[in-house]
Amino acid sequence: MVFTEAKRYYVERRIAERMAATSIETFPAYFAFLRSELRDEVEHIINAFTVNETYFYREDHQLECLTKDLLRERVREKRRGDAIRIWSAPCSTGEEPYSIAIWLLENWPEVDNFDVEIVGSDIDTRVLGAASAGIFGKRALMRLSPDLVARYFEQLDDERWLILDDLRQSVQFSSVNLVETRQTLTQGQFDVIFCRNVLIYFDDESRRVAAENLYDNLLPGGFICLGHTESMSRISPLFEVCRYSDAIVYRRPREKNP
Amino acid sequence: MPLVRRGSSNAAVSSLESSALAATLSGGSIDERWAAARSVADLPNGLTLLSDALSRETDPRVREAIFTSMARTRTPESAAAVLPYLRSDDASLRAGALDALRLMPEATASHLPGLLIDKDADVRVLACELVRNQPVSEASRLLQPILATESQANVCGAAVEVLAEVGGPDVLPFLAACARRFPDDPFLSFAIQVARGRIGSQASSRD
Amino acid sequence: MTPDGKKNVLVIDDASLVRAYYRQALEKAGYHVGEAMNGLEGLEKLLMQPFDVVIVDVNMPQMDGMTFLSMLRSKELPLAGIPALVTSTEAGEQDIAAARRAGANYYVVKPISQEALANYIDLLAGVAR
Repeated sequence: MVFTEAKRYYVERRIAERMAATSIETFPAYFAFLRSELRDEVEHIINAFTVNETYFYREDHQLECLTKDLLRERVREKRRGDAIRIWSAPCSTGEEPYSIAIWLLENWPEVDNFDVEIVGSDIDTRVLGAASAGIFGKRALMRLSPDLVARYFEQLDDERWLILDDLRQSVQFSSVNLVETRQTLTQGQFDVIFCRNVLIYFDDESRRVAAENLYDNLLPGGFICLGHTESMSRISPLFEVCRYSDAIVYRRPREKNP
Repeated sequence: MPLVRRGSSNAAVSSLESSALAATLSGGSIDERWAAARSVADLPNGLTLLSDALSRETDPRVREAIFTSMARTRTPESAAAVLPYLRSDDASLRAGALDALRLMPEATASHLPGLLIDKDADVRVLACELVRNQPVSEASRLLQPILATESQANVCGAAVEVLAEVGGPDVLPFLAACARRFPDDPFLSFAIQVARGRIGSQASSRD
Repeated sequence: MTPDGKKNVLVIDDASLVRAYYRQALEKAGYHVGEAMNGLEGLEKLLMQPFDVVIVDVNMPQMDGMTFLSMLRSKELPLAGIPALVTSTEAGEQDIAAARRAGANYYVVKPISQEALANYIDLLAGVAR
């Protein structure tokens, strides 16, 4: 990675966030910690600097949480055949929503019992075009086992794989700006929203409006997952915080019974 | 294949007229008041409607939406409408007002000198916090008098907290003088020492 | 408690210098210190890691101290049972009573000296010296 002077602020922010997250006050102490703690913290730092990189099964502990905990909660009050709606926003070039689809088919025994609808939205229509096309390179597939790649993708050449048509057809893509209420409202309400590593780029006002929009887009009791260095505590008091497995997840409160 | 694709679902909210919105803001369900609060900001009399609603609203989520909408209008009138809630007995209203004012620093700027000498010490503390979002030169200018003459240690503490982040070498003598005024306050002595250290080391790294 | 046997204190206050002040006092007294700047962040930290004592200020943005305490006490054990020291600039009877009702173990009026703070935390953490 190359850092210009213009990126200095970005770097400082990321390091400050890691220092805050680890409750370490001075940079020398943080640097010492980094050198001694190695694996975990280094992974956090790498993640912090590569938030724009996307690949299949990124932050898969959240996918595990989805099937082990979140969907289990959501289907408690659903009947067979009911809809389960999952939103990936922003979806970028599609790795996230397609990952969710593959993960569910591979890991959720109940996937056939419900009408699972996955929606991928982004403000950038070029990435949406790429997402719909469903062609991915080696780097995007690096966390998938060869077996998964073989079963869900068709290799076009040395550098490109095309996701199976069934999967390509199973995700709906839409152009949405998360700060525009008129746009977010058109997407309806979801059981689970993945909104990773985008709120950090908004200014304070937009972040707050986006959080309110996301609240509206959740069914009561629905869940929202942020990037693992992000926290609703700095954004909005609207959501409840839940801990599942090793993930912190936020929830729109369930309706109170009158 | 159990994964299904549908056309775009659920209708967008329809835009209501001003009087209908006003009625919903006071009489609707929580969800209706929430939606109304979020769509009112664009109306010409939106601020008045929001202000009225805020004076009666008790649900925390709707209050939050009202504050957001008021902050988005970001006029001096919006700041003036939010300000009184800094004095509320209700902690969540105070917090909501503070957050809303933080979102509109330009609209708030003209009110700060008055707030910094408010007769309520708690308001003065909040005012110091609001100075944080002002341009850096303004922050120093507004907070130096606090360090010089403020009688309450916790207000000075709030000023030091902000200056530790945004203060320049020009505030160093004021910090020193403040420390001399409160020699027996252990926290304030500590805070001023830290602030002086931070500002001092930034100054020397620039030389 | 952390693997090295030290007890873990969570400091919740929106002022970074207050957190630094408490941190200095508590680390000197042999505690590990975690920080949060508001009640929401505090709750998240408490969910992710075990803490032995919580210090929370009454006045915080996003979620004030009393709301935080009430919410903490409504969670499941052991989270709900964490000893809590509440700090405030107010010394009135009503404020103290309200804090008790919300579930505070001790109520301390600022400013507090670093030794006094360490003593209170020793009491709440069950550390004898």
